[in-house]
Amino acid sequence: MTRNIYMDDNDVYEFQAEDDDGDDDDDDDEFSIEFYNHKDNDSVIFQNDIFCEDELDQQVPLRHKGIMSKIVDCKYKEYGDEDKGILEDDLPIIEYSCLTAGNIYSLMLNRASKLQPVFNIPISDVIVLLQKYNWCEERMLEAYTDDAKAVLDSAGILIGENSELFSRLKTRDGFVCPICCESSETMKTFSLECGHEYCLTCYQHYISDKLNVGNIIKCMNCELALKNDDIDIIMGEGSSTKLMLSSIKGFIQKHSQYYKWCPFTDCKYVIHVKNTMSLTQLNRKYLSPYVICDNKHQFCFNCSLEVHAPCDCIVASFWVRKAQEESENLNWMLQNTKECPKCNVNIEKNGGCNHMTCRSCSYEFCWLCEGDWSTHKGSYYQCILYDEKKQNKKGDDEKKIKLHKYSYYYKLFNVHESSAQLDMKLGLTVEQKVKSLQDNLGISWIEGQFIPEAIEKIVNGRTVLKWSFAVAYYSDHSHNMYKILEQNQMELSKAVEELSELLEIKDPKQIMDRKLDFYNMSDYVEKRSNALVECGRELLIKGICIPRDS
Amino acid sequence: MTTLPKRIIKETERLVSDPVPGISAEPHEDNLRYFDVSIEGPQQSAYENGVFRLELFLPDEYPMEPPKVRFLTKIYHPNIDRLGRICLDVLKTNWSPALQIRTVLLSIQALLATPNPNDPLANDVAEDWIADEDAAIAKAKHWTALYACRPPPPSPTGPSETNN
Repeated sequence: MTRNIYMDDNDVYEFQAEDDDGDDDDDDDEFSIEFYNHKDNDSVIFQNDIFCEDELDQQVPLRHKGIMSKIVDCKYKEYGDEDKGILEDDLPIIEYSCLTAGNIYSLMLNRASKLQPVFNIPISDVIVLLQKYNWCEERMLEAYTDDAKAVLDSAGILIGENSELFSRLKTRDGFVCPICCESSETMKTFSLECGHEYCLTCYQHYISDKLNVGNIIKCMNCELALKNDDIDIIMGEGSSTKLMLSSIKGFIQKHSQYYKWCPFTDCKYVIHVKNTMSLTQLNRKYLSPYVICDNKHQFCFNCSLEVHAPCDCIVASFWVRKAQEESENLNWMLQNTKECPKCNVNIEKNGGCNHMTCRSCSYEFCWLCEGDWSTHKGSYYQCILYDEKKQNKKGDDEKKIKLHKYSYYYKLFNVHESSAQLDMKLGLTVEQKVKSLQDNLGISWIEGQFIPEAIEKIVNGRTVLKWSFAVAYYSDHSHNMYKILEQNQMELSKAVEELSELLEIKDPKQIMDRKLDFYNMSDYVEKRSNALVECGRELLIKGICIPRDS
Repeated sequence: MTTLPKRIIKETERLVSDPVPGISAEPHEDNLRYFDVSIEGPQQSAYENGVFRLELFLPDEYPMEPPKVRFLTKIYHPNIDRLGRICLDVLKTNWSPALQIRTVLLSIQALLATPNPNDPLANDVAEDWIADEDAAIAKAKHWTALYACRPPPPSPTGPSETNN
């Protein structure tokens, strides 16, 4: 059942929030802990979940508060309704959920309470064990059935009858702490069942750094583990949560196949994909598993890049790598140098007139038109030969063409990237625009939503356009399909620019007058984006676009 | 300089009043956190009869952080590199505030008695050690005789002295 559809993303996905009641099939997944079939308990835990407060920061839409283990199904909608013959009906579905480290910890706690009867040890000990086995209950259970005592010993868990009664915190007179060698009349000390007693201050020093590491914290003098309660006694209520979250972070990092941090700056969400089979299936079809976190950040689960359609992850990574390697040099060279028309040495003009003499081949030429200086005698700076010259240059050596080709696409890529960023900035001010519509013309909020929708379409459109240049760069330009791709690119960029023009309009009345244009143009941009994505994908499928290092 | 923590004062006192056999550690007068250490090579080891000089420094966070220890005398040992740095668990991950200077130095002495080429710091030494243990031990003995058995050098104190 479709409960909510992400309005912001309707061009690529449709999201379904649905109850997933018992069809978990991740038994084969040795790391994954089944979170999802204990729905009711999860929700309860989440409500009392003090440590999630800071995780679920202000930006989280209200609808997510209190619903923790929401399952979000992501289904690829076929791109465009006009079937081109290569669309599959049974595209794999990526099932994923958006969690925070706090969420995962709550779910782990829940698992711990389920496991407690199996081990028959206090739940705090189960948590220590889970921590030791990096929250992988299969491995833990296996080791435990092999040799229970060894497992408990190595985790520093003492099975004692009276351990609950043991008084850990004392106030002592005349005690000299073996760590700091200080003593006072009212010295507070702490010790575990082992009797290694140290002053509270030393214990606090000892623990504070370790909270960020996430490993089990042990007694300062033996292998006995401090439990969460102990840590809270020493460091204050809630401190153990910090340790647990650090430990969970380690868990996430180790299982990056199933868990990915949202790559956006300061975003605290983690995307958990249960069925990694669907990822490979998607890959085979040259599609990428795009996911959206609850902060509405969309990224590729495979490579953690932004949405890079029509590229697949391989093309995208090639392109990104190339851009990293070459962009800095290239940017500088493009801005500051020209090549000598004769020997292709890059020349920087740092002053003087336009009469250039190449230092390497002594060729004299005009900086403006790059033509032979001798033809300029008497009519300086009238470089009418410019266009023709440019045409003639096409027969130059391959290396230069390659660099030119790359710089050409790279420039286009960059232009659209920066435009998309500007559009996104515009998106931030759009609330005010809508509000001004409300204030000035009495338009209802919902009626004004066509503006944010348009912004979203334009940003998506630019992203598609941007990445399509990476596909174009790696494609065989002689192929017919490439011409079609170029055509598609042109259509989309035209559409994007037109929509962009609409968005420039400031006068509220005029905006409302052209509301229909907004709708039509947004729709058109979306259609063109989808068409371009599909076209790019076809190039990939047919092997016309093959990424390679050059 | 801030006042020296009681813990360090007590440990220093005990190192002087109740020294560990075969080990000496004296703090510098101008920096009480910096110790000149000498360790006698354990008997029946390749380092027998050698006296190895080390430097030991107690960082501000001591005892929450381990002391920093380094060999000053050249030594041929798979867990000690050319700069004298030591690969020893209690100096790194297994440090506990309940350990002391004396226990650390004892551990180092024990490391001299039982080199562990399977967890090396000096890879070349460890390779030699695994390939031909007898030859490696002979070389270690040679180095001990060469560098650790000389009469005390003209400048009797540690290298920081020369800086002043």
